Amino acid sequence: MSLNKNNTCIYFLIFFASVAFSQEIKSVEKDSSETEKLDEVIVTATRTLRQLSSLPLPAQIISKKDIKRSNSVRLNDILNEQTGLITIPDFGGGEGIQLQGLDSQYTLILVDGVPLVGRSAGTLDISRLTVGNIKQIEVVKGASSSLYGNDALGGVINIITEQPKYGLKGNINYRAGAFNTNDIGATIGYKKEKLGASLFINSYSSDGYDLNEDDDLNTVEPFNNYTLNSKLTYDLTDNTDLFVSGRFYTQNQDYVASSTLKGESSINEWNIHTKLSHEYNEKWSSYFEFYTTRYKADEYLNNEDGSRYSDGFYNQLLVRPEIRATYSPKEESTFIGGIGFNHETLDRTDFTANPIFNSPYAYLQYDGNFTERLNVIVGARFDSHNRYKSQFSPKAAARYKINDKIAVKGSVGYGYKAPDFRQLYFDFTNATVGYTVLGYNAVLTVIPELQEQGEISNIVVPLSEFEEDLSPENSISINLGMDFKLSSQFNFNINAFRNTIDDLIDTRVIANKTNGQNVFSYYNINEVYTQGLEINSTWKPNNNLKISGGYQLVFAKDKEAESAFENGDVYARETPSSPSFQLKKEDYFGLYNRSRHMANLKVFYAFPKLNLDANVRGTYRSKYGLFDTNGNNYLDSYDDFVDGYTVIDFAINKRFFNDYTLGFGVDNLFNFTDTQNISNIAGRIIYGKLNIQF
Amino acid sequence: MRTLKSIQLLALLALCIGFTACSSDDDAGSNNLLDVETETVTNLYAPQEGGQGQPVSGDFTKFDFETGLVTTSETEWDIAFRGTSIIVNGGVSAGTTDEPSRTGEAAVYETSGTFASVTDIDTTLFTQDSAEGYAITTGSGNGWYTYAGPPTHLITPIAGKIFVFKTNEGKYAKVEFLSYYEDAPENPDAFADATPYYTFNYVFQPNEGVTTF
Repeated sequence: MSLNKNNTCIYFLIFFASVAFSQEIKSVEKDSSETEKLDEVIVTATRTLRQLSSLPLPAQIISKKDIKRSNSVRLNDILNEQTGLITIPDFGGGEGIQLQGLDSQYTLILVDGVPLVGRSAGTLDISRLTVGNIKQIEVVKGASSSLYGNDALGGVINIITEQPKYGLKGNINYRAGAFNTNDIGATIGYKKEKLGASLFINSYSSDGYDLNEDDDLNTVEPFNNYTLNSKLTYDLTDNTDLFVSGRFYTQNQDYVASSTLKGESSINEWNIHTKLSHEYNEKWSSYFEFYTTRYKADEYLNNEDGSRYSDGFYNQLLVRPEIRATYSPKEESTFIGGIGFNHETLDRTDFTANPIFNSPYAYLQYDGNFTERLNVIVGARFDSHNRYKSQFSPKAAARYKINDKIAVKGSVGYGYKAPDFRQLYFDFTNATVGYTVLGYNAVLTVIPELQEQGEISNIVVPLSEFEEDLSPENSISINLGMDFKLSSQFNFNINAFRNTIDDLIDTRVIANKTNGQNVFSYYNINEVYTQGLEINSTWKPNNNLKISGGYQLVFAKDKEAESAFENGDVYARETPSSPSFQLKKEDYFGLYNRSRHMANLKVFYAFPKLNLDANVRGTYRSKYGLFDTNGNNYLDSYDDFVDGYTVIDFAINKRFFNDYTLGFGVDNLFNFTDTQNISNIAGRIIYGKLNIQF
Repeated sequence: MRTLKSIQLLALLALCIGFTACSSDDDAGSNNLLDVETETVTNLYAPQEGGQGQPVSGDFTKFDFETGLVTTSETEWDIAFRGTSIIVNGGVSAGTTDEPSRTGEAAVYETSGTFASVTDIDTTLFTQDSAEGYAITTGSGNGWYTYAGPPTHLITPIAGKIFVFKTNEGKYAKVEFLSYYEDAPENPDAFADATPYYTFNYVFQPNEGVTTF
């Protein structure tokens, strides 16, 4: 741990040295007076309105226009088409996002700047979110705990929803496609003088699908869900604005465990987000924000005779008041600081306690231009916590504009992910097999109980090892990139990244049970890293054509595994029943579920005279391993891999009488499926869409 | 049923012996030492009753390295199998139902390597079964196998794990387990292939006091 702190210092020293050095380079010429084109604005990176193009961090905006043209329905649809992002199906049927080769539990998901909760097994299911009322999606890569604290270890995805616009406006949207999947949405918004209000309703239902006919289960069971989002904005004075947003989400789905065990699962989620903004003068503004959210999931299974087999529940609450202020002493120089308090509770099946997490926090950040060419962001956040070690998360970033066409940028940040409730308080015994999983904080109370009941035959890890707190998983992330804006039609950027995660939480056997099974618990052990390269490019030769492409190379590896291979401690077999042989260093493939190569290519074309636009989007993912298939606990080149694949989507939309749009498209044109390994690719989906504006 | 299996086993053994090769290039003949040969046992059937949270019972299937055969003798056996558990004829019974009492001085240790790379025997490492647990520890990842869990539920011998045994008679043998499934299929299917049918390679050092293979 102390070693790690030293590393942090070194990274930051190097960083500042390089910043200081680059400052010495005299700017010879002033920026040309040509006015920049109206640029995209991002809020996630700095928590202030910020021009995207001059940002020193790797970030990306997905516009409403692209979401609409792609005819996306859920958040996973559109995120899957972005460079370096991929959704990974979870065993519970949810889909989490993988970013820079990091698991979904390391990416913070925000809606209008406040977090979603409900990660029942670490994964936040992003298919919960409809894209129907989204204004833009902002993706910031690299550790961002300096602003957002917990979970922002790999990056942050912030969904910015539509605000009420002047006048009375609305739209109705309907998409119907394969598997009897229906998505219906309607928005109505009003704004006049001081008052704005909007209501968004979405219903999404499907019969699900089955990739494997041999068993009694469907791959995705039938479901229906509803999203309701209403907003109110009111200008109390010229300088004081009130914003209130309420969101409600409910889903019901069949829950089938076997031919005899059937039931239902439901999710109910709501959040209320209130923000009061006040501008004192040109330099000072302040914001008071109050956010509350509850995520509740229930499920049950019944036996054939109707009697109850099992019940499960998960009920999480987050309450967060926060005050922040911005101070801009001069143009292009902004300080932002905030203090807040997180109060979090969870009530869940198989828990030893109803834990309460309380954590006050404070952060401060400076974003400014030292010279015309050099932009610097430095910031830090402190999170105090009642259940695990308090965290200090610094970050620094800089961008230097070499000339109008080329800029270099770099950032170093600390990110952390606190142990979740499950890793601390789980107390679960598998009813059929008989093994037990204990949360770290549950060990000291549950093991003595099991000993008293005579269920423990042998203690493998002494209980004294559980007296200290479990450490949060933490990471140093480094990003170095270059932006090339070679002409108004063509831009290109490249970013190299490395995330070094320390104290990764894993499970191990802590005791043997008398029934021959084991007791597992969590511990800090592994050090893993993900590193690679990301390239994005957009070419717009004219107003009607846009071609964009992206590529990510990633190596995601466990350091302990690397040294095991180097030391020759790892063996494999050609087939499961042939003699074993020793593996070499280069046989280690890396972490599960990581593809070395991912790429996308999108072509959007508009026919203005016909009021028609069409697009073809392709995404590619190279081979990856899902689990160790040859029994040596590592993913090596002799394991079975999931073959690489390409999915091509096609969409066409035509506008009639200004306010009506008819759409048609085919997702997964060539009907790619891998029924064995990939549960979230259902095959070809043909759909039609109607949109009415009023 | 069991006799039928034994006959099968014998037949297979006879077949295998035809294919066996010298793993050691000692010029054994000149020293009047017996040849050390690699043998393969296929489909050693070792069923158990109970399990999955229930008490385990059923006779262990006993094996003798000297003869290379399954035996029902209560004393002349070296190792014995039941389900995924493997015991040695040395030490103390853990006291499960139908577990045979230990009559000899057999023992075992595990080591890492390829089957061929384990050539020297470290006689200080041997352990025997005890009332607290077997010398070959049970459970996934502990002894000779890993259990993959869902979705494949496969039981796979751990690659690179070689077991060195001291036999009932004080001689040595090394074993590499290859399969838990009937006929050791190349790509076993836990739902289709029958268990527990052990397939393993072993080398028996027939010469007393020789601590190499």
